[in-house]
Amino acid sequence: MEHASAAEFGNESAMTLNQVGVGRDVRIRVLQGPGCDRLRDLGFCEQVQVRKLAGGRNPICSVCGTRLAISRELAEQVLVAPVL
Amino acid sequence: MHAASESPSTIALIGNPNTGKTTLFNALTGANAKIGNYSGVTVDIKSGETYTPHGKKLRVLDLPGCYSLRAPSPDEQVAVDALTGDLPGYAKPDLVVCVLDASNLERHLQLALQVIALQIPTILALNMVDMAEKSGLRLDPAKLAAELGVPVVPMQASAGKGIIELKQALRFPFPSAAHAMWVPGTDDAEDTRRTFIRNLCELAARRPDAHQLTFADQLDDWLLHPVWGWVAFFAIMFAVFWGIFSFARIPMGWIESAQGVVAGGVESLMPAGDLRSLLVDGVLGGVGGVVVFLPQIVLLFFFIGLLESSGYMARAAYLMDGVMSRAGLSGKAFLPLFSSYACAIPGVMASRTIGSAKERLATIFIAPWMSCSARLPVYFLIVPLLLHENEGSWKQALVLFAIYTLGTLSAFVVARVLRRKLGPDHTAHHFMLELPPYRWPQWRYIFRHVLERGGSFVAKAGTIILGISILLWALSTYPKADGDGADALAASAMGRIGAVIEPVVRPLGFDGRVGTAILTSFAAREVFNSSLAVLFRVDEAAGEEATRNSLRDRLALAKWPDGTPLFTPLSIISLLVFYIYALQCLPTSVVVAKEAGSWKWALGQLAFMSGFAYAASLGVFQIGKLLGF
Repeated sequence: MEHASAAEFGNESAMTLNQVGVGRDVRIRVLQGPGCDRLRDLGFCEQVQVRKLAGGRNPICSVCGTRLAISRELAEQVLVAPVL
Repeated sequence: MHAASESPSTIALIGNPNTGKTTLFNALTGANAKIGNYSGVTVDIKSGETYTPHGKKLRVLDLPGCYSLRAPSPDEQVAVDALTGDLPGYAKPDLVVCVLDASNLERHLQLALQVIALQIPTILALNMVDMAEKSGLRLDPAKLAAELGVPVVPMQASAGKGIIELKQALRFPFPSAAHAMWVPGTDDAEDTRRTFIRNLCELAARRPDAHQLTFADQLDDWLLHPVWGWVAFFAIMFAVFWGIFSFARIPMGWIESAQGVVAGGVESLMPAGDLRSLLVDGVLGGVGGVVVFLPQIVLLFFFIGLLESSGYMARAAYLMDGVMSRAGLSGKAFLPLFSSYACAIPGVMASRTIGSAKERLATIFIAPWMSCSARLPVYFLIVPLLLHENEGSWKQALVLFAIYTLGTLSAFVVARVLRRKLGPDHTAHHFMLELPPYRWPQWRYIFRHVLERGGSFVAKAGTIILGISILLWALSTYPKADGDGADALAASAMGRIGAVIEPVVRPLGFDGRVGTAILTSFAAREVFNSSLAVLFRVDEAAGEEATRNSLRDRLALAKWPDGTPLFTPLSIISLLVFYIYALQCLPTSVVVAKEAGSWKWALGQLAFMSGFAYAASLGVFQIGKLLGF
């Protein structure tokens, strides 16, 4: 399965995890930034569906059944699209 | 691959944080290693022994949890080195048991696949299958085993289920290393691995499609709420302190009366003399002054165990991240610092989970200011002097809460200054924290842990503190002088030391006896109680019958030579402040030197904290006096 690259996805049209409303389900499109590897180790991989459970200083997401809190800087590196 | 009989084969337990590796380790080896429901409880390698079904001995290593083999923090590096055989003193493992949380296979398989790719024989232990199936996950261990080419054992280690099946898998010959079929030899191994995992989970661990709002999600809405979360946090912490104060009273009464009975028995059986004085004043008084606080310490460890086991600890760390960031630390530093309330030594060691080296140093530096359990005997001895007799335990809890808050807040200020001095990190470290599901506490482990800590406290009282008490008794008895009570004490070695110290501690509001007690407690702070018990055994103001009162009553009656009471509210606060800040624990300094990698840090910390304690105590007493207290 091919991943969408950051370029073809278009940064302007993508939402970061910070911009997603609380309680929404989204699918991760692209990871970009220095924290990518760490995010993938935690389960934030391309194509994975996540739900944002809380916003604020450290947003909380449910990823594959685990609740994870990550910093806003990390959440900024996760580009997502709503689940249709 | 059959090891020679003299050197047993080594198996290593590895897995993401908080997957139950240590629970499994304890189940396999019969050990009683500390576990908790949050990541980072294990920061060092633990080693134990188990046997194969055929009776062959196996060495079991419990490695710290890690998310991947890329290892950005010191505890993860230890795990990686152990796997590759680069860790001095440990053989390269012959078999790796990769512990996975069955509810999170998508994430935990990442590490499992990296381990398999190292070409070490691997067994996957699919832990917590009960939780996974309850959440609606449909697991297929057989499919998983077939796809990965390694044995897969479903289990529930906390309830002892699957242990026998795992032991059956730990038999010789060990399974051979699997071929990592997801590594096609291209540069993009990471990507291929992730695609492989996704497809595998579709096959062997099907998730219900819709996200379900779990009980934990609903509870977290309250416990992590920006307002209600804090209300709950303070309520829980206050309840812990109140619980310690009020529940401990009953067993404390038993210990005190038992001590009284023994002392009375010795006095009625033996003629008055030095030996009787040694037994009653030195041994019973000195050791008893510390042992009487055993119930509080047991309760503190019980409550901490309860918070750890239930999963609340990670929530507290999440809440505290904002506060910690003002001190230049992150929520990651919360767990080491919280452990320090029990004892600074595991706290300092737990700082290994902090990725940033500078944040770690700052955390180690301030950890001793989290009031540890060894301070409790001192606090419990003097806090009630501050309040009137029989005041509600909630008032005492409030004072105790204030003591802990003062220590913690000052620590944060120091951390902030220190963090600024150390400068920014070279690489950015971001906050990330797993919030584990709430679990019913594992009572068996909590009680075993509490028992162990209580036992080590009693052991310390029976060895180090007993020795020091006898020494103190001798110093305060010899050389003998004519006269009794205060005159005899003044003439003794201790009395002379006190006379030398008095000018130094007088500005803090203490006399020579309290000064001597402080001096003797620099190796271990609980000795303060023993010293006071020995030094105040004869009260000049009271008659013979009053000398057997509890130590606290005797302290309340103590007077300066001019007849004014020795312990005024101001001098008690000054004494409390001294004990909040002073670093009086030799073992902590040794561990700090080891963890920080230099004695300079440990000695600097000792000098700074001792100096600060003196200055703070001086400030409190002098300013208080100026204000007319």
